[in-house]
Amino acid sequence: MPVESQSQIEPTRAMWLLVARRAAYGLRYFFHFLRVYPGYAAGYIIVLTVALVSMAAPAIAPFSPISADATVYLQPPTWSHLLGTDSTGMDVFSRLIFAPRIDLAIAVLGTLVSSVIGTAVGAWVGYFQSAAGFKSFLSNAVMRAADVLQAFPVFVFAIALVAVFGQSLNSLVLAIAFVNIPIYLRLMRSQVLRIRDLRYVEAAYIFGVPDWLIIGKHIVPNGIAPVLAQLSVNIGWSILLTAGLSFVGAGVRAPTPEWGSMIAMGFPNVMTGQWWPSVYPGLALAITVFGFGLIGASIEFLADPRRRRTLAAGTGLVPNRA
Amino acid sequence: MNHESIATSPHFSRRALIKGAAAAAAYTLLPKFGASDAAAAEQSHTLVIAAPATPQSLDHEFDVSLGTIDSVGSLYDNLLEYEKIPDPQVPAAFREDISVHEDKPYNLNLKGKLAEKWEISSDGTVARFFLRPGVKSNWGNELTADDVKWTWDRKLHLTGLGPFQAGVLNITQEDQIQVEGKYVISFHVPKPNPLLLKQMVNLSNPVYDSVKCKQVATKDDPWAHKFLENNSAGFGPYVVSQLIRGQQAVFKPRSDYYRGKPYMDTVIFKEVPTSATRLSLLQGGSVDVAQFLQPLEYTTLKKVNGVAVDAVKASFAVWVELNTKIKPFDNIKVRQAMNYALPREDVLKTVFQDLADKQTGCIPDIYPNFTDKFWSYDTDLEKAKSLLAEAGFKDGFKSTLSYDAGNPVQEPIAILFQTALRKIGVELTLNKVPAATFYDFVTKRQQSLIFYLDSPWVPDPGYSTQLYFNSKSYVDYSNYSNSEVDELIKSGLQTLDPAAREQNYTRVQEIVMTEAPWVFIAWPRYVLARRSNLKGFTYYTSNNLRFQDFYRG
Repeated sequence: MPVESQSQIEPTRAMWLLVARRAAYGLRYFFHFLRVYPGYAAGYIIVLTVALVSMAAPAIAPFSPISADATVYLQPPTWSHLLGTDSTGMDVFSRLIFAPRIDLAIAVLGTLVSSVIGTAVGAWVGYFQSAAGFKSFLSNAVMRAADVLQAFPVFVFAIALVAVFGQSLNSLVLAIAFVNIPIYLRLMRSQVLRIRDLRYVEAAYIFGVPDWLIIGKHIVPNGIAPVLAQLSVNIGWSILLTAGLSFVGAGVRAPTPEWGSMIAMGFPNVMTGQWWPSVYPGLALAITVFGFGLIGASIEFLADPRRRRTLAAGTGLVPNRA
Repeated sequence: MNHESIATSPHFSRRALIKGAAAAAAYTLLPKFGASDAAAAEQSHTLVIAAPATPQSLDHEFDVSLGTIDSVGSLYDNLLEYEKIPDPQVPAAFREDISVHEDKPYNLNLKGKLAEKWEISSDGTVARFFLRPGVKSNWGNELTADDVKWTWDRKLHLTGLGPFQAGVLNITQEDQIQVEGKYVISFHVPKPNPLLLKQMVNLSNPVYDSVKCKQVATKDDPWAHKFLENNSAGFGPYVVSQLIRGQQAVFKPRSDYYRGKPYMDTVIFKEVPTSATRLSLLQGGSVDVAQFLQPLEYTTLKKVNGVAVDAVKASFAVWVELNTKIKPFDNIKVRQAMNYALPREDVLKTVFQDLADKQTGCIPDIYPNFTDKFWSYDTDLEKAKSLLAEAGFKDGFKSTLSYDAGNPVQEPIAILFQTALRKIGVELTLNKVPAATFYDFVTKRQQSLIFYLDSPWVPDPGYSTQLYFNSKSYVDYSNYSNSEVDELIKSGLQTLDPAAREQNYTRVQEIVMTEAPWVFIAWPRYVLARRSNLKGFTYYTSNNLRFQDFYRG
């Protein structure tokens, strides 16, 4: 037994060592990239800060984010209420730092669900695009269905979905997932159409590897990079959509802290001079979406082999800027 | 830089920037009414009103929206009206004298409009009206008893407001309305009815020009509904000269109006959906009246030169319906606890900016026979908690409060209420309902808790309590049912004796206030934001403007 175990452990350890070495290299490369392009680093810092602050919100929020206090309504920013209070006396700062818990959760979950479904369906559709028979028919039918979905204005479509499924967090996730699926579907399909004709895929096919294994093991992993780049941009956009839905009253229920509903609740006060209940959540929303945008751009950069090679050219990790 | 210095900087402030941007946007919206035009308009006989919406229909039988009731009050006349008196709290405004006057005929301070004389039979079952001869409609037809007859027959045949308006008088058959001469019409009811005269003042009961209506009627539309949707055929001081829904309605005065041509030569009723834009237009002098602003916006206007804000006591009330057929609100103690929990003073101060009064009763406090002696629900969380414990809800309960997304005051009230209820263990979920479907929610009576805003137009305790607390009323949205209340309301509507009526309705108020089918919140005031040189504002219990009241001074 000990001899057998030894022989099993050795290759595993070697594999892990390889993985660790690659990860270490990847990390060094990543930090080098951020040093060279600090603009992209800002994106990671913003998103990380937002995520950490929202996680720590119960510990750092000075007031309950859902408790009204009529004695301090519409107070401008002061030391006791750092970002002021809204029309019911709720503390804007406390609500602002609690809000990403909802916004990020909905956006990330919605985007993940849509990316998984969209990628899987897109890979299948692309693989069977020009096949004969029912699979081809189904593949084309899926694409036309995606056309129909994308023909609707996204925001209106999302409002309709929330109206159908009822006003809840689950409905919002579902709506965001639903409107995003065609994006990933098209993205993955275009990747698969390119990859499926490559020699190594043909070789796998000739060796009798089943279709699902070819798709799952040989095609999707090699076409996933643009999907990952899209993810981050899409999360930012989904935060905007969540906020937009809440702004028009189709999002989270009041007084749940959420940036869009905070903007909507504070909006009537802007005209009467109390800008803070609306402007601060608006700023937080804009900065966070900007952060996700930067991350998306950085992933696009890193996923591009030519730019990656250029960055790593020369001595080790030193970029070649010539 | 502290916030005060930012806010008060004479050169450039965020507030000024925002206002400037909004004014610029508003100017773009209304290019024909720039500030210089407005200066000229100040001396002119043109009245420009910025309203949330243009009239959807001019046939009030099927439309009670805000634009419609403002139009109807100027296009049509009724048989009677109340005498006007200066508002006791707002000297610049007038209001109807709706008090009980035991020294006047039928205890009412009435004035003839299309009727020059009226009488009620000694048994109180016949009301007879003698019409003013020589009154012409906007189509040139003379007013006769046939017009009044046709008007009430129309109510009985259509399915809008008419059956209700006739029903409260116990009029269900055409032969109860009899033409006794060219200018004499009588109404016959089975039992004495104290509303016989008051209903002739009600905005919902104007007189139509039957000659014109019959001319335009068709086999499919015998009561001229399609014509009256876009045109008027009445005896009022104005006619509609343009109606572009979603944009504007324009009204012109009648030079042959029997009371003389009104002051304003043109009334432009402009649709401006956003209250912030209406505010900017008034501030910039582009309009004379900005209707239905938000409470904080009125507060802002009080500091603006050239603008006046009149806030008069009104017949509106805003409350929460407690569905007495749904647990735990079938329990009186729970309903009382909800009333004790509402932070009413906070709501009045923060949400209404003190432009509302505490709702201390179940009928408008400006109406005859109102009493607040049964009021006991000043905020008291300890009392609320002990009532819940007595009702078997020591640990509280969970419920849902639905509110109208289109009403800007309901959400903040709901949040304040939710915070207060949390302190006594009641977890309230807030359900924001789109404005388009909100009234479906109300009328289906399936919500545990739902906001409601309404106003009984006829200043009568019987009319008001009949609407909301009679178990057979279609407006009894809290499903409230008490046989003693039903009987008291009914008998009060069958006697002309003021003392007996007062006794009845005092008892009704006592029972209703004790059994609390509502969370009593506020009586919002009717607020008119206007250019200060616009005079003549008169408050009606139907909560509408009448263009003929206005002049410049």
